[in-house]
Amino acid sequence: MASLGTFLLLSSFVVCAYAAVSSVVGARRGSRRLIESGIGALYLVAALMAVATAVIINAFLTDDFSIRYVAAESETLQPLFYKITSYWGGLNGSIMFWVFLLSVFGSVAVWVNKERHRELIPYVVATISTVEMFFLYLMVVHKNPFTTFLTPAPADGTGLNPLLQNYWMAIHPPSLYTGFVGMTIPFAFGLAALITGNLDDSWLRAVRRWTMVAWLFLSFGLMLGMIWAYEVLAWGGYWGWDPVENAAVLPWFTATAFLHSVMVQERRSMLRVWNVTLVILTFFLTIFGTFLTRSGVVQSVHAFGDDPQLARLFTGFMVVILTFSFGLVIYRLPLLRARNSELDSWVSREAAFLANNWILLFCAFFVAFATMFPTLSEAVTGTRMTVGPPFFNKWMLPIGLVLLFLTGLGPLLAWRKSTVTNLIEQFAWPVGGMVVTLGALAALGFTQWAALTCFGLCAFVMTTIGQEFWRGAMVRRKNTGSDVFTALVGLVARNKRRYGGYIVHVGIVLIFVGFAGNAYKRDVTQLLQPGQQMTVGAYTVRNDQVKVIEDGQKQSVVAYISVFKGGKQIDTMYPAKASFRKHQNEPPRTDAAIRRTLPEDLYLVLASFDLGTQAISLNVVVNPLVNWVWLGFGLLAFGTGIALLPETTFSFALAKVGSPEAATTTVAVIVALMLFGAPRSAYAQHVELPGSISTPTNQLEKTMRDEIGCTCGSCAHEALSKCICGQAAQMREDLRAEIDSGKNHDQIISSLIVKYGGEHFLSQPLDRGFNRLAWLFPYLLGGVGVIGVSVVAMRWSKHGHDSETTDNAPQDAAMNERLDDELRNLD
Amino acid sequence: MTHRYIKITATAVVLSAAFGFMMWTTLRDGAEYFKHVDEVVSQRASLEGKKVQLHGYVIPGTILNKPNTLEYRFKVQNNPIRAGEPGQVMSISYTGIVPDTFKGEAEVVLKGQLTSDGGFHTDPNGVIAKCPSKYEAAGGAPAPAGL
Repeated sequence: MASLGTFLLLSSFVVCAYAAVSSVVGARRGSRRLIESGIGALYLVAALMAVATAVIINAFLTDDFSIRYVAAESETLQPLFYKITSYWGGLNGSIMFWVFLLSVFGSVAVWVNKERHRELIPYVVATISTVEMFFLYLMVVHKNPFTTFLTPAPADGTGLNPLLQNYWMAIHPPSLYTGFVGMTIPFAFGLAALITGNLDDSWLRAVRRWTMVAWLFLSFGLMLGMIWAYEVLAWGGYWGWDPVENAAVLPWFTATAFLHSVMVQERRSMLRVWNVTLVILTFFLTIFGTFLTRSGVVQSVHAFGDDPQLARLFTGFMVVILTFSFGLVIYRLPLLRARNSELDSWVSREAAFLANNWILLFCAFFVAFATMFPTLSEAVTGTRMTVGPPFFNKWMLPIGLVLLFLTGLGPLLAWRKSTVTNLIEQFAWPVGGMVVTLGALAALGFTQWAALTCFGLCAFVMTTIGQEFWRGAMVRRKNTGSDVFTALVGLVARNKRRYGGYIVHVGIVLIFVGFAGNAYKRDVTQLLQPGQQMTVGAYTVRNDQVKVIEDGQKQSVVAYISVFKGGKQIDTMYPAKASFRKHQNEPPRTDAAIRRTLPEDLYLVLASFDLGTQAISLNVVVNPLVNWVWLGFGLLAFGTGIALLPETTFSFALAKVGSPEAATTTVAVIVALMLFGAPRSAYAQHVELPGSISTPTNQLEKTMRDEIGCTCGSCAHEALSKCICGQAAQMREDLRAEIDSGKNHDQIISSLIVKYGGEHFLSQPLDRGFNRLAWLFPYLLGGVGVIGVSVVAMRWSKHGHDSETTDNAPQDAAMNERLDDELRNLD
Repeated sequence: MTHRYIKITATAVVLSAAFGFMMWTTLRDGAEYFKHVDEVVSQRASLEGKKVQLHGYVIPGTILNKPNTLEYRFKVQNNPIRAGEPGQVMSISYTGIVPDTFKGEAEVVLKGQLTSDGGFHTDPNGVIAKCPSKYEAAGGAPAPAGL
């Protein structure tokens, strides 16, 4: 079996090489057949890697200890689940798992984009296969997971490290690797765009979604790692700025920056060089992170161990990536020049995005620098200096707060330029929310300035987001005449990316709330004789007894701790230390006992024990608000999910159900369940949702449906006969009502012009004598309104608050709001 | 255009200088010397009063724990126990929880300061013991034969 595995890896390497060469040659010569064969080869690699994966998992399941890797990572008694996860438990297997994921991801990405981005695909294939080749090379010559023992195979393996035998650790690496590997796809498309010179925004569209998916997995992987550290490493925290953690968070920073700056390029065609750079950097940092954790360059408790040869190979690869990619960027600079590179104003959303990008990039560089600092200082001065978590915190705390502030600031600023009036109107509520929160907290006696600032900013961001949802829903309610909740659902459904993004921001706020809770953490260690108790915060804990419990795989020493709060016993907790049979000459695993509540966690660690006297030293940690971090990640995933929903999600949902009512109810119930759980479904019955297009009752309706375009702004102004969005459904109903009231064609048009406040709903402007006059009327009305608004706005900005609101101001404000809304919803 | 570039360059220079300065000042507070036992013994004078991370190996049988307290005393040597030649030796004092991996022969990194009596006092939670077999670093897992 082992030789089959090695053979598969070797042939994958060869096929990869073929894929790279044939697609490049095919693209140069314009040979469709060569390109197709390259794509085929890429699929083949995925297939080969799948078989190789099957082979190694089979080896784990059948306890084939003649393979060294299996012997080192598994044992006969290991639970089935952990036998499978052992696949990525060690260095060699993790590289193989990496290649497997990359080959699958790459194939899917190529398959999806094959037709849409024909000109890019050959180079995408070439890039992906080159990256695969590198990792396959690592395995074949250096870290082959299929290496067998030259001596007789051992009777049993040593088993997976006990610390890794944990549910979270089983799913953390796949999630993190998926995130890392996913970042290869945007890189491949970016490179392809650079090589071919197709530098319009189409490559961005291809990778936006991918980056989002990869980012989601990366975030999720980070969270799983944090939960694992919190539950298993038993030190009471979840983030210690360890090099391995840092390595994982580096690409997260740049990917987050990219997801923001990509919007600026879409809207304003700015930051093109910047975006390509971010994509390249993100990919580079994934490789850099892999290098850090696997080469032993930095000291870490989690690292895989020293390996100078691996370090050299990785360094070479990284140099090649940087030289090649940035060489291409420089070569293509003339093509990348932005059409409008100047910012209109520093008080604009572009500027906020730019600031966000700089800070995120700074985070990445700072963390990279501080992580590498020991190595750097040794190389430069000869003395190894290190920096610890306090140094990171000193820097990352203020930076994090600024980022949080920008999260709230961005949505408040308009694109291009914000006027003073605009700013006052936008900032009133959020700033108010912040002040009220700060006042309330200060009155309650909170003093920690960093935590206070954080809570205040959280309130600021939350009010901003709330205001965005509220105003959007109000405008939509007015336009569609539905109730608020319906309007809210419609709003999110129509601008999934934008409102999904806001939900992600809410998640981020919750995470920051959790971080701020850290400021109030209590951590006390004390020796407890049997029956003795100690008090930390609101909790009193008592050492009842210490027992030894034995199961087949391990022997555990368990302390029985009674927990009291307010004089009453609320719980009994069992912190423990477990010695694994197969790891007897290794230290036992400390199993912390955690009592989770939303306000705070009680975290007990059995630090040491004396079975004779039953005395224990107990580490008691009270961790306020920790669970908000996990909740925040949940919301972040939910928001990303909404942003990722395909445009046609709702129409799919509808197409499968016969009658519109049933469909509406079904989708509404699903949406309601997603949002608020079952109790909300009563409301959801009213949800107005995009329907399948009803058949026109007569010729007039049929004709007019073609003449009128949907005004929702997200569907490229499609005719009512085609558009399936909710707005179109509403407009079809309006049209039906007009026809039913017996009006003729022109009357309907005029009446709709009045209703919709302009001619924008018409697919093509009508150009007939009489109609021009009819049209003029609302236009005059609108023009007067606009001039009125301008005059009022000018007088406001000139004379401050002395001018009274004129009669038509509310109406104009509403117009403005709608205009703003439509402008904002241009995606 | 050139005018714009000058502005950008000036901003960049000022910003990086500011960051550099801040970085330097915080680094002075935050950075700790990472030294092996041999180095600490030979450079004792220059390291007095500075924050030091001491790297060494716990000598088996030297770990003393005062009963019913978290006070520890032990000795570390410069070279791995299996190397035969111990190198320099230092006495360590520590109060707090020791990690599970802390025991004789363990490779440890201790954060703390030199004491006037020639020993080393470890900060609270300053004991980091390397687990030899976490993942598959050298030593823990069966050393692959033939390589």
